Amino acid sequence: MFLECRDLGYRYPQSSEFVFQNIFFELDTPGFHALFGPSGVGKTSFAKLLTGDINGYIGKILKKKDATFLYTYNQERLPGWSSIGRHLEKVTPPGMTDLCRELVEAFGMEPFMTQKFSQLSLGQQNRINLIRYLLQDFDLLVMDESLANVDERSKENIIFRIKELFPQKFFLYISHNLMEVSKFSDAILVLLKAGKQPQTSLIKGLNIHRNDVINSPELDAVLLGIMNAC
Amino acid sequence: MLVRRISQFFIVYGAGIGFLLALKSILGLSDYVIPGPLEIWDTGLAVAHGYLYDVLNTLGVAMVGQVLSIIMAFSIGTAARKSSWIGSFIKAAAYNIQAYPIVAVAPIIFILLGDGFAARLIIAAMICYFPLLLSVVSIMSEPITDIEHFYLATGRMRWQLEIKIRAFENIQKLTTVISGSATLAMAGTIVAEFIAANAGIGHAIRIALYQSDLAKILAALFLIGIFLSLYQGTLEWVGEKIINKWVIVDQEELP
Repeated sequence: MFLECRDLGYRYPQSSEFVFQNIFFELDTPGFHALFGPSGVGKTSFAKLLTGDINGYIGKILKKKDATFLYTYNQERLPGWSSIGRHLEKVTPPGMTDLCRELVEAFGMEPFMTQKFSQLSLGQQNRINLIRYLLQDFDLLVMDESLANVDERSKENIIFRIKELFPQKFFLYISHNLMEVSKFSDAILVLLKAGKQPQTSLIKGLNIHRNDVINSPELDAVLLGIMNAC
Repeated sequence: MLVRRISQFFIVYGAGIGFLLALKSILGLSDYVIPGPLEIWDTGLAVAHGYLYDVLNTLGVAMVGQVLSIIMAFSIGTAARKSSWIGSFIKAAAYNIQAYPIVAVAPIIFILLGDGFAARLIIAAMICYFPLLLSVVSIMSEPITDIEHFYLATGRMRWQLEIKIRAFENIQKLTTVISGSATLAMAGTIVAEFIAANAGIGHAIRIALYQSDLAKILAALFLIGIFLSLYQGTLEWVGEKIINKWVIVDQEELP
């Protein structure tokens, strides 16, 4: 088992109310998975618990031994004292230079490598931030709104490229976009508002790859499944 | 910026003199209490040379004291940025010590070190140091989560990098605090000289006070103001240069 949550519950420090509780969740297949739910249900808290960015939960989180979990979110910034190209050079582990070049090209960031982070648009900032995480040693990467402000076509291309380049890695994509979650994800963990029982629902997404043709009835079924779960 | 600072000083100084002369006129005070404009001018010319040397002497001590306090504040402040036991201890000690007026401790320093250069320097540095320390501690202990997260998550964070990130993100605040602390250093030096030193413009003001010579005091204040404005203006200019070099985007880098 790569990841298993047993009866997981979390409440903010000094709060008596649970953000979520009684969550059971398993992840054993590499690929592009999603975490979906309305605002405020605790998606970010849940993701941060998985990656160890926050603690203080009840229940159990069982991870594969020595697996590295990383969490990235859309408001992260790169230091402003050097260009993004220079920054990428510094954080690219040895032997990953080719991958770096490939990602920069696939993410459409080549023309901007001499610019500083603050000069980029929000979508470009998110893309460059995601690139540096993809270059790190990880087994699971939580992408919390990591492709926000990126246009649909680029976003689609980026997700397809991630699937092609990292078939053995786990991704947990947090987004409020029902359509992209339904199309691109394999397993979709829908997190429901506190008090609802069960508090999660696991739905199978279409998990499309490049050149796949979307089957409309199947997509409708996934969309309906998520909507009903919410 | 420099011109603006000096012109602002002229306005404030002129307003102050104007206020005194108005007071003299309204209350019918004698020239002995508040001298007339001509006497102020003549006295100013007469003491200008000697006071110029005194002000430069004071400014020199203040500058060295400020540099010392900056070094100390950054060393201690960066050490205290952690929420560890030692960090909390340094913060609590700094807050408690700064609440105690340094001027009250000054006589002890003069008793121990005499009325020479060292005593003036220490008092100047101490008066300048604590407010600087509190600013540095507050800036350096505030995480820049959006930038630091990546380095923490990937195990790349080093203390040097942490300080660099926080200093970079707060460079505007830091340069303002440093240029502002020049006033404190100058005030500290003058206070020290006023209490017991044997040189500097504070010492000259004390002599003028004993002579009840307000014209001399006003001349001293004029020179202090001019040189402090120059010094602060220079610090602000240097700060701006640093910001431009480090933070503002270099247009030549654009593709």
